[in-house]
Amino acid sequence: MSQDRVYEVLFIADPNLGEPEVDALTVQVHGYIEKEGGRIQKTEKWGKKRLAYLLGKHREGSYVLTTVEGGTALVKEVERRIRVTDGVIRFITVRVDEELRKAERRRARRAVVESKRKVRPPRPPVEDVEEVEL
Amino acid sequence: MSAFGGGGGGGGRSFGGSKERGKPGQGRGGAAGAKDGGKRYFFRRRKVCKFCADKIDYIDYKDVKLLSGFVPERGKILPRRMFGTCAEHQRKVTLAIKRARAIALLPYASE
Repeated sequence: MSQDRVYEVLFIADPNLGEPEVDALTVQVHGYIEKEGGRIQKTEKWGKKRLAYLLGKHREGSYVLTTVEGGTALVKEVERRIRVTDGVIRFITVRVDEELRKAERRRARRAVVESKRKVRPPRPPVEDVEEVEL
Repeated sequence: MSAFGGGGGGGGRSFGGSKERGKPGQGRGGAAGAKDGGKRYFFRRRKVCKFCADKIDYIDYKDVKLLSGFVPERGKILPRRMFGTCAEHQRKVTLAIKRARAIALLPYASE
């Protein structure tokens, strides 16, 4: 069994849609994911943000971020479906599990290195230095 | 002794000096040059990779605040020499910026 991967699906909804409509769209996208056997870890709504450049005629858009756990077939199908969904003006899917794992490892390694560093005892204070007259 | 040093330096400058004679001249030049060396060359601050220093392990493409520091007004990705990021982190920054551009968090090129 191949291990499932973690992806972030970030899409931008049409800014003309109201809050409930964006929510409906999110539920719709979640439906795509669940139908393909993906597990939704978390969803974040960023609300309306200004776009860095024009997307079609839009100056701003509503961002919705979803973290998903699933296989490779999932991404293919979900992306295909999002592409044909009205109301989504842009989306991106990014695999994050590997990078996050690497980051975790690096953090762990650094913690080890730092704990080792602390083990070294402080230099004993210099005491009883007798002044020697020559 | 000092007279010989001066002569050597002069020889070096007039193309006539052999290596042997050029040396004392250079030595003297170096000693004097240390003073105006600071004037001639820019003072270069030692650049340390921001990500190594701040211990940022995962460079997130969603972190616009962080990434925008590497993208000037025009939207170009700044080269490594400007910020002193290490090669590894520069690669990651570049990737993150490109992803951020794809979803309109950062500009491709300003108007």
